[in-house]
Amino acid sequence: MEALELYAVDDTREVYTEELKLNLGPQHPSTHGVLRVELRMDGEIITGARADIGYLHRCAEKIGENVSYLQFTPYTDRMDYLAACNNELAWSLTVEKLLGVEAPERAQWLRVIVCELNRIASHLIAFGTYGIDMGANTPFFYAFRERELVLALLERPSGQRMLYNYVRPGGVAHDIDETWLDDVLRFCDHFEKMWAEYNTLLSHNAIFIARTANIGVLPKEVAIAFGVTGPSLRASGVRWDLRRDVPYLWPYGEIEFDVPVGEGTHGTLGDCWDRYWVRMREMMESIRIIRQACRRVPSGDFMDKNLIKIYKSPIKPGPGEAYLRTENPRGELGFYVVAAGGTSPLRCRARGPSFCNLSVLETLLPGCMIADGVAIIGSLDIVLGEVDR
Amino acid sequence: MDEVALHARLAASGVPGVGALDRSVKDPFVVVETASIVPALAWLRDDPDCRLEMLHNLTAVERPECMEVVYHVCSLAHHHALVLKVRVPRPEGGGHENWIPEVPSVAGVYPAANWHEREQWDLLGVRFAGHPDPRRILLPEEWIGHPLRKDYVYPTDHGEIPLELDAIPMYERDPSNPPKPSGRVRKAGEPLFQPPAPFSSRPLASGGKTVEPGQPAPPGAGEGTH
Repeated sequence: MEALELYAVDDTREVYTEELKLNLGPQHPSTHGVLRVELRMDGEIITGARADIGYLHRCAEKIGENVSYLQFTPYTDRMDYLAACNNELAWSLTVEKLLGVEAPERAQWLRVIVCELNRIASHLIAFGTYGIDMGANTPFFYAFRERELVLALLERPSGQRMLYNYVRPGGVAHDIDETWLDDVLRFCDHFEKMWAEYNTLLSHNAIFIARTANIGVLPKEVAIAFGVTGPSLRASGVRWDLRRDVPYLWPYGEIEFDVPVGEGTHGTLGDCWDRYWVRMREMMESIRIIRQACRRVPSGDFMDKNLIKIYKSPIKPGPGEAYLRTENPRGELGFYVVAAGGTSPLRCRARGPSFCNLSVLETLLPGCMIADGVAIIGSLDIVLGEVDR
Repeated sequence: MDEVALHARLAASGVPGVGALDRSVKDPFVVVETASIVPALAWLRDDPDCRLEMLHNLTAVERPECMEVVYHVCSLAHHHALVLKVRVPRPEGGGHENWIPEVPSVAGVYPAANWHEREQWDLLGVRFAGHPDPRRILLPEEWIGHPLRKDYVYPTDHGEIPLELDAIPMYERDPSNPPKPSGRVRKAGEPLFQPPAPFSSRPLASGGKTVEPGQPAPPGAGEGTH
């Protein structure tokens, strides 16, 4: 119980009820997977919280130490399974950094397009499921309608709907067909109209605002101290986006886009509505990025010619180490790889954004009503496959 | 600032035990003595020119000669990052099986380290002295061993459940009596896909009578057969 004392609430209420311990999850729709939160309740008010994770643990890092560098790519898909392309990208870039190679120009631009499409698909899940958390069932179906279009677009070059194994060290696995870029642009036009529909449906709904504004306020300093990244950090007013500040793919440096941050529109800066609204606006920024990238895809190789030759036998980077972080839909994914000269790494560490974002939950929950706890968990937008890895 | 400037500032800060900057790898790193990691990180976080305010990643690496704890810290204000390392050498001679290296916890400097350190304890068996909540995080508390150790022995069962496939007797593994293939075996020359038989020659569900073309089918015809 020592850990719970750490996060004790300082409140001055006069009426207290008998303390109740409540298990939220691991099988509960509002936990977005298999997350168990041990709550200490005083009536309906949470006085202490402890997250219990590990139900989906598959020891991906151990697998990474036992398979070759190329074989680990599909395993990264299964961490954040809603944003598989972005995970593959992080892993591919880390291996490329270790080898000292760079993907061809065409592959770089294709990577930008598929990753931003995947970001939209991922944020649509966040939008839809958050509506369900707040008791609005309809937005979920609207979100899945457009997500299906994204998945169909991503299926065409990769052959997969969710776990693509498309971005690989050295480039991308397959080239796109002739009409793919046109269809992506058509999707962008379509999605803009649908995005306006989402906002009339949920974003500016008075009940939704009442449920999310001023709830779960995450101050900037706390977010940074806990290593919170991605939309959850930006919603607290920090204009920090690796795509803009540390462009890990050089095309991001040549594209014009904004980094939306929270403004406290309906309440306090860094509340649940801000986190939700940053994600909504990021979808529009992704559309902007895709539109510019589609016009700039050059012809040429989609995979490094020299690496294809090397792929006939497992690649063996010399002794060394590399750390690389990318901006995933949920925050910054980092891979730390230590190579010792063999065909598989000595250490393969994945720094999942959901893991760090979830660690702030134990400080956010105390003092809230239990129904607001659901709003807070949903607004952090975690994927348990990545928390547990 | 780049790593060189950051290292120079840290070396001049008065924090003892700061080693040289190793630039042999892609991300240059500084090896700090075990006792100085907490003051070094606290200084880097608070110094206005460094302001490495976010612990991005904390991990441990088991090397043949030592256990290495790696700290990736970065600054959002100044857009720079630094890698710090702490090395705990292996004890002399044998007896490595139950070796638990110990380094001071930095959870007091960066709250983000709380879960990272719990994970490293869970998977790699590095004890972080002074950690506020030193429990396992991903595995159950009663788990034996630390899976990411190189000498980790895979368990053969979890409670009553056998974990190895061979432990489950699917059928008699007798080489003189190999398992028979289930289902019908295709004859030589037989096409892979048979065209469906015409409806009229299919056996009926009731009675097994066939219906000639042109006659009304009895009730229930065609149901239950494929």
